[in-house]
Amino acid sequence: MFGIRTIRNQRLALVSGALVMAVLTACAGAPAPTQAPAQPPTQTPAAEAPTSAPEPAAPAAGGESTFVSWYQYDETNTDEKSDERVGNAYLRRTIPIFNEEFKGKYKWVNQPQAWDKMTLNLIAAVQGGGEVPDVMQVDSTAVQTTLYQNGAAQDLTDWIKAQPWFNDLDEGAVSACTGLDGKIYCVPIAETPQLVFYWSDHFPNGYPRTPEDFLSQAEALKQKNVYAITFFGSTDFDGNATTRFFFTTLASFGGGYDDGKGNMLLNRPENVKAVEFIREIVSKGYAPEVVFAGKFQEEEPMKTAEAASFPTGIFGYRYVNPLRAPSGKEYNTKTEQDMIDAIQAGDVKLSAFVAPEGKQPSCGLGVTGLIIPKGARNPEGARAYINWVMDQRNNADWVVAIGGGVPSLDPTRTAAAFQSEFYKQAIQATAGLCRPWQGTLTNPPEAQKIIATAIYKLIKEDPAADIAAELQKAQDEYNSQYAPGS
Amino acid sequence: MTSSAQAASAATSPSQTSHRHIKEGFFSRTLPFWLLLPSILVLIVIQVIPGLFSFFLSTQTFERGEQIFVGLRNFERVFSSSAFNASLFHTLFFLIGYVALTMIAGFVIAQMLNRKLRLSAFYITVIFVPWVLSDVVVGLIFRLFIVPDYGLFSAFFADPQIFPPRGISILTTPAAPALVSGVPFPPAPALIYLIFASAWKALPFITLLILAALQTVSREVIESASIDGADGWRTVRYITFPLILPTLIVALFNLTLNGVNGVGLVFSLTGGGPGTATEVLSYLLYTIGFGRLDFGRAAALSVFMAVINLTLILLTLRISRSEREA
Repeated sequence: MFGIRTIRNQRLALVSGALVMAVLTACAGAPAPTQAPAQPPTQTPAAEAPTSAPEPAAPAAGGESTFVSWYQYDETNTDEKSDERVGNAYLRRTIPIFNEEFKGKYKWVNQPQAWDKMTLNLIAAVQGGGEVPDVMQVDSTAVQTTLYQNGAAQDLTDWIKAQPWFNDLDEGAVSACTGLDGKIYCVPIAETPQLVFYWSDHFPNGYPRTPEDFLSQAEALKQKNVYAITFFGSTDFDGNATTRFFFTTLASFGGGYDDGKGNMLLNRPENVKAVEFIREIVSKGYAPEVVFAGKFQEEEPMKTAEAASFPTGIFGYRYVNPLRAPSGKEYNTKTEQDMIDAIQAGDVKLSAFVAPEGKQPSCGLGVTGLIIPKGARNPEGARAYINWVMDQRNNADWVVAIGGGVPSLDPTRTAAAFQSEFYKQAIQATAGLCRPWQGTLTNPPEAQKIIATAIYKLIKEDPAADIAAELQKAQDEYNSQYAPGS
Repeated sequence: MTSSAQAASAATSPSQTSHRHIKEGFFSRTLPFWLLLPSILVLIVIQVIPGLFSFFLSTQTFERGEQIFVGLRNFERVFSSSAFNASLFHTLFFLIGYVALTMIAGFVIAQMLNRKLRLSAFYITVIFVPWVLSDVVVGLIFRLFIVPDYGLFSAFFADPQIFPPRGISILTTPAAPALVSGVPFPPAPALIYLIFASAWKALPFITLLILAALQTVSREVIESASIDGADGWRTVRYITFPLILPTLIVALFNLTLNGVNGVGLVFSLTGGGPGTATEVLSYLLYTIGFGRLDFGRAAALSVFMAVINLTLILLTLRISRSEREA
């Protein structure tokens, strides 16, 4: 009996052990990225070896190879009310054009991704050795996260410098794509500066130039039940306010977030003055309460002209609609055309923000572009696609539809698409003034949250708190954990 | 059957029978194991391995794509951040309010429904509606009620005569000054509102759970207690409550774990704001992991939260056992 039970136990242990091993082996799946065989040599020596198990793109009939893009847009979505309709339509229009042009060589396939999950999905794919796209749309807020902390993008330095269009790129845009190691990781295509949209009827003499001028006009507007300004002032989206109005104001006062060496430098007189200014705007009721509600609901008072001005990214024109001007005139197509029309009609104008006497207004600069992720299976296809996008025939279309900003390529700025009043004013309002908000900070996502929380506390939660002390506290918290060498 | 076949059959029969018996014995004895094995394997794959991997990840950091061992550095980073301390208290306040409100309201409603009211089935159907809505939908609905200036009830809350001295804006009014330094109490209106929204969402399940338990309580027992002179409260306290205690423990267990780990409502209703007033641990974990993509630190926080979960489970089981013994 004992013997039989022992045999049973052994058999049971063996069977269950084998089953567990089988499952674990199945789950292990693809080999770890670092154990992967080296990528077959590419035609461009500058291309960095991918870290995950790459296979050459499977050539289709006639040697045509597929490359995959990740965009936040979906060419199959034909909903005219979709927030992303402009980009969706662009892909629907251009994918067949590209595929026709490169017939027999490359075939472009797009895989739509949620804009706020795209970076995450890429990092997960690169680190997990999963399927990665060959080319992906990025914005500069994701660049540091993607490139530095998680190393998900290929170094494009040598390749990009060898391209005929490289010398036509705006230097600021290239710097937004450049890592702390001096290497270039993305191809900047569109610049998305922060600027101010304002109702010209509320500011008939143009947008105020100094904080003092702004405050006196704001008081006058308040008497007419109009808020002088609305802005994204909440801590929502992990402190996204840091990249928007907060930076625009601090930078316009001559301040900023970093010391140029990777450390946070928040407690400085310029920043203290800037926070005092925002605090005054809030405490005197020159901005509506919805400013602090999050989820981009601060746009609402601008749409109805209850707020006279709205500092935001240039791409904001797509989302702020429909519009009702102070005169009662309506722009009601409920598309991006409303803002374009309002600007063309002179009801809305664009401007840089205010700056104290002797200072120049400043603003945050974002860049939208393309990266080639590590592990891309068809980098040649990706490079051919990028060159196609950078071609003068196609560049303006991408900048308008995907980038939602102004071109990084100088020659493209002369294209017909950028001769409208909207683009003329945007380029004029921000020329040479903007810079990436993160400066040399090595952990922008963390800095973003810490800074937004500190400024929010000072202007809304505790308007009597010592500004310098709170800024210093936030600065110390960041530097103790994330500054170089900490 | 021929005689030779019968002979052959007779010759092999004893060994086959014995083998079959061994086989039958083996499988009948181990049958529960085989039936459980698929579930065990699934649990190993989707819980045990990721759990162990999370612990491993909590000791790692990524620098330029390189995975580097950092020991307990991620834990230190989590515990030393101001956001962690605040979110720990927010979680505690949220949990107390959410569990207490849902349990009490669920019990009261279940008691009412158990009295065979007219249209009981209709009430139960109506009450069940929030349960089928997703957290995000519930969050958006509750948000639309109170968006400053534009929400359905924002004017009501902003009325200084109802909420002196200046009225409140639930989404943006900060918490009153803390009574004790470092402890964010009293909570912001947004946290209280979040508790109400979460309780509204969880109420149907808890109500139905308690109602089902109440319906198992024998009417004779209740009537006997009544004949013996027990009033309504005493009947509930000494008869109904002990009889449905196991169900209440299950409900408590469910609410507690949901309360600690839920993130959808915070995400869609308040986004952690105003400031960090509704930033609970689960939301902080979400933002560190999926917002800032700092997987090492997120894993460290998840390990900490796993410890909290285990502690709560053990605590609940202990209370359950001691109540049963009592």
